[in-house]
Amino acid sequence: MIEFIDVSKTYPNGTHALHNINLKIDDGEFVYIVGASGAGKSTFLKLITCEEKPNSGQIIVNGVHLETIKKRNIPYLRRNMGLVFQDFRLIETMNVFDNIAFAMRVVGTREKEIEKRVPFFLKMVGLSHKAKMFPSELSGGEKQRIGLARALINHPKMLIADEPTGNIDPAMSYEMLGMLSEINKHGTTVVMVTHEHVLVREFPHRIVEINNGSIVADSSLMQNPAAAQSAEPSETSEKGGGTDA
Amino acid sequence: MRKLPYLAKEGIKNLWHNRTMTLASIFVLVACLLLTGLAVLFSMNISNAMQDLEGNNQVTVYLKDEVSPQESEQIGKKIEAIENVASIEFVDKDRALENMLNRLGDDGTLFEGLTEEENFLPDSYKVSFRDLSLYDQTVKEISAIDGVESYTDYSEVAEKLTRLDHLVSVAGVWIVIVLGIVSLFIIANTIRVTMFSRRQEISIMKSVGATNGFIRIPFVIEGICIGVIAGIIASAVLYFSYSAIMDSISGVVPFIRLIPLEEILLKAVIAFIASGIVFGTIGGSISITRYLKREGGSIIIG
Repeated sequence: MIEFIDVSKTYPNGTHALHNINLKIDDGEFVYIVGASGAGKSTFLKLITCEEKPNSGQIIVNGVHLETIKKRNIPYLRRNMGLVFQDFRLIETMNVFDNIAFAMRVVGTREKEIEKRVPFFLKMVGLSHKAKMFPSELSGGEKQRIGLARALINHPKMLIADEPTGNIDPAMSYEMLGMLSEINKHGTTVVMVTHEHVLVREFPHRIVEINNGSIVADSSLMQNPAAAQSAEPSETSEKGGGTDA
Repeated sequence: MRKLPYLAKEGIKNLWHNRTMTLASIFVLVACLLLTGLAVLFSMNISNAMQDLEGNNQVTVYLKDEVSPQESEQIGKKIEAIENVASIEFVDKDRALENMLNRLGDDGTLFEGLTEEENFLPDSYKVSFRDLSLYDQTVKEISAIDGVESYTDYSEVAEKLTRLDHLVSVAGVWIVIVLGIVSLFIIANTIRVTMFSRRQEISIMKSVGATNGFIRIPFVIEGICIGVIAGIIASAVLYFSYSAIMDSISGVVPFIRLIPLEEILLKAVIAFIASGIVFGTIGGSISITRYLKREGGSIIIG
């Protein structure tokens, strides 16, 4: 679960990236984060991955308060997140198999387990036959599927995707969204930053729109007023108390 | 620990990818180790020579030529009576000649024909002192005895050697400090180059939850390898150059007995490799720690 309570972030250079963000993403949800460039989407992701700390407010990810998390605990928090990048971030000098295995090696998985798990995930993204190829020999869509396999290989609870379809052709984008939806169905939370309205319409999930550092729209609040209340913690407690009485 | 073979392999790969800088670091580190080693060896040899000179606190007291055997016995008793004198040993002129011929070896052929009458060496006493700090006072008492011609005064030579040793130590320390900093700087830079070429890997490592310690290991191993290689090369150079250098020194100061190479070689190799490892580790750690602090935190998402 990801929860932002009154979160604001201003960078040292004075840029107000996020202002008073309140948002709750439950386990197993699929959420699109949309908004124009510079709206604060990247800062939002950086706060979730602990690359940045908020100036005020609270961020709770999988029960851990990120505003007070100790530096040495950050890696362990990230092991529960799979990250997919717009530019794939594959290592050019490693073949497909090793690119995926790399994510397991750096968290200290046994080679025996790597030999077992990597082929399984390669099969899942439909690239078993390209295990020995290098990234330069793959298409954009294939690279991103490897990126996805790498993000999922350590069984993360949530998948954070930063414009995963930004560099691949439309047909592949559909396929990618299909995969992400499938993964989500199996219980993995998916948070995806995107610009592509067509995809968002085609694969309907909750949409959170950020503009100028604030949440300007949240589809779950529009459809479900109860969720609207829970997203505003201060009001929730007041109203909740009133209902009980 | 089971990650270690993988990480070691990565570190060694780094070395090869970045071989020009690796060579530069190794070269500077070799220079630094060698200069340190030579300064230490020089110092060791000097203190060794000083021990030889002091010869267990011994001074040779030469008797006047005209002193009869009975008188020389009297003189011996008088020397023995001095409080700071621990023991004495009489060396007559014949034994002195024999000793000298033995010491000179082949160079002594010039004196071989000397007959007893021609022996120009005086009778002497080898006198051991209890406390060397009372040297001046004690030799004064000895030279005051009638029939004593002179005594070997090592104090001046010892003083010169001490001064030389001090000079070498001070200069050595400074050279080592400067070169040490230079080699650390170069090693750190070498490893920083590798780090930049691998920054994407580092960012991916961080994104999948690798700890900083884990990310650091290949770079530290890279540093250690540089250190070990430099240590081995420095040992080899020392092995081949030690005798040559020491020969030329003994040509200038002939009475110094050099510490044989075999006695110091193992110690030198261990010291070189160990300090190479220390330097490499520090150099590697400096750059990766700085990198992780400054840039490593914000490379997950563009």
